[in-house]
Amino acid sequence: MAEVRYQEASRIYPGTEEPAVNQLNLDIGDGELLVLVGPSGSGKSTALRMLAGLETVNMGSIWINEVDVTLKPPQDRDIAMVFQNYALYPSMTVGDNMGFALKQQKVPKAERAERVAEAARILDLTEYLDRKPKNLSGGQRQRVAMGRAIVRQPQVFLMDEPLSNLDAKLRVQTRTELADLQARLGVTTVYVTHDQVEAMTMGHRVAVLNFGVLQQVDAPKTLYAAPANKFVAGFIGSPAMNLFDAENVDGKPGIAGVAVPINDAVAAALKGQSLDKVSVGVRPEHLTLGTAGIEGEVTVVEELGSESFVHVRTDHRGEATNIVVRDRGETQTARGDRVKIDFDGPLHVFGEDGQRVTA
Amino acid sequence: MSAVVVDQSKNGGTPTSDDLARAAAIKRMERREGWKRRLPVLPALIYTILVTQIPFLFTLFYSLTDWRIDKVEPRQFIGVENYASLSGDKFFRDAAWISVQMTVMAVLLSLIVGTGLAILLDRKFFGQGFIRTLLITPFLVMPVVAGLMWKLQMFNSTFGIIGWVMNGLGFDSIEFATKYPLASVVVVLVWQWSPFMMLIVLAGLQGQDQSVLEAARVDGASSWGTFRQITLPQLRPFLELGTLLGAIYLIQVYDHIEVIVGGQPGAKNLPFYIAQRSIGGGNVFGLASAYSIVVVIASIIIANIGLRVLSNLLEDNS
Repeated sequence: MAEVRYQEASRIYPGTEEPAVNQLNLDIGDGELLVLVGPSGSGKSTALRMLAGLETVNMGSIWINEVDVTLKPPQDRDIAMVFQNYALYPSMTVGDNMGFALKQQKVPKAERAERVAEAARILDLTEYLDRKPKNLSGGQRQRVAMGRAIVRQPQVFLMDEPLSNLDAKLRVQTRTELADLQARLGVTTVYVTHDQVEAMTMGHRVAVLNFGVLQQVDAPKTLYAAPANKFVAGFIGSPAMNLFDAENVDGKPGIAGVAVPINDAVAAALKGQSLDKVSVGVRPEHLTLGTAGIEGEVTVVEELGSESFVHVRTDHRGEATNIVVRDRGETQTARGDRVKIDFDGPLHVFGEDGQRVTA
Repeated sequence: MSAVVVDQSKNGGTPTSDDLARAAAIKRMERREGWKRRLPVLPALIYTILVTQIPFLFTLFYSLTDWRIDKVEPRQFIGVENYASLSGDKFFRDAAWISVQMTVMAVLLSLIVGTGLAILLDRKFFGQGFIRTLLITPFLVMPVVAGLMWKLQMFNSTFGIIGWVMNGLGFDSIEFATKYPLASVVVVLVWQWSPFMMLIVLAGLQGQDQSVLEAARVDGASSWGTFRQITLPQLRPFLELGTLLGAIYLIQVYDHIEVIVGGQPGAKNLPFYIAQRSIGGGNVFGLASAYSIVVVIASIIIANIGLRVLSNLLEDNS
């Protein structure tokens, strides 16, 4: 069991100026499942590979259990990694794949077999132990990769987009199983994904990265309810938050000619900032189709059964702008309808610097 | 095997004239498709039959005759007499044994050297492309030229580099090619064929999934452990291919032997012996043909055994 700490850790690839990971500071608690999430090129995989010892840490340091591992090779870090393409050893059987790390540690054969059998039982792989990876389905391969990690009983699990090669249905199912397994084993886990739904559903805490810089690290709920900046606001949530550069409506920030109802504290915090440079965000579920508010025309209705998302085109700052409203289905709208959008819930205001304005 | 489907459900199993016409049309179409695929291969096929299969049949025929070109008598059919005389021919047995030694040593050594070079080349460094090209050059040299180069510039006791180095170390220089004829030929063959093996193995190394190697590192395997347990089993098909192709070419080596050691018995392989018995002055074409046939059959058998042995070796390893 272990704690992990990134301390001002940076990775600069040879021949590039911009760090792929820029002075990352992150504390991961014992038994925690921390998700690193971000768009491609955000440095999330690099950050994970730095922890694995597969990438050089150019500046700063990385600690596992209060031991500085910055300069240690992967094999001395007591970590197990699950790769995106699983990276199973093609010439070995499932059993040998899972027992490989133990064999390197010179664990006696009998104990090795026992631990492999135990892991295989947990992952429902017992009947496949003698097969080669090429004779397994994608989901089974994924489980073998997991098995290879848990057999070792390492200090830390590292997972690099382990579900992205599965089909949608299996991914959702495996996501749950994986979260359950992690909770049962209680092993500190760092999990990389580009899928913010995966991040939100699995992570005890989620660290959002962009351009190698840590944007925010928080519990999923906090991340959703109080994004620290414009990037996190736009990245977390599906469908995405409606996020606009505001316009000045009678001294208040507004959207499409309608002032947003901010409280006095936020208004005070915005004093002195140019209102057409601040941003306003509101999630689709915090808007309703009503009788007053932003006027627009319905362009698309996405019907999901339990709810529907209504895309409304409005004129904002002189441009046609799309606003998404969640509708529970009480109002029947169709393409071409003229509607009015009212605010019904929390607003997110970001100052000129893109940071959240907290009241 | 006709892929024609006649729908018999409509009229109780009796195909109508429409159905039959349709079936015939489909058959014509399939035949046209077949020819479209076959036709482009045909010239190559005809050429191959002309230059390999027909001569082979002639050889087979000659092998059953007493044909000599230094005699005026017409050739006579003598059955399997040539084949029968083979068992009593000590020179044939010697040449066969030399062939086996030469091929096995040259293939294995060039495979080992080539794999070593491939591993060194399979990493990024400055001048990689240049060095790769340099390493390939021996393979591009003509066999006769390679033989002459080694004979005159390396093995020669007076002018050769090996002699010069040995003198420098305080030993007497020796006529390397005369004293160790088989080793001399093998050295040159390995020099020429290692680049070929290197290219094949390099392709295998570069086709490896990098994340598998990373996984092995994370799992605690040493460099040697990774190579032995992960890389080598994955290289297996490439090593097999190298062995097969190398054996096919090296079993028929002639030029090197002719140039480096001439007719010395210590390095006379089967092709050289057969050539000596026929066009090389022996003139017994019937006998030489019989020997050739035996060599072809033996080669096929040995190549199969060799491949199987290699496969098993690597199978155990993984």
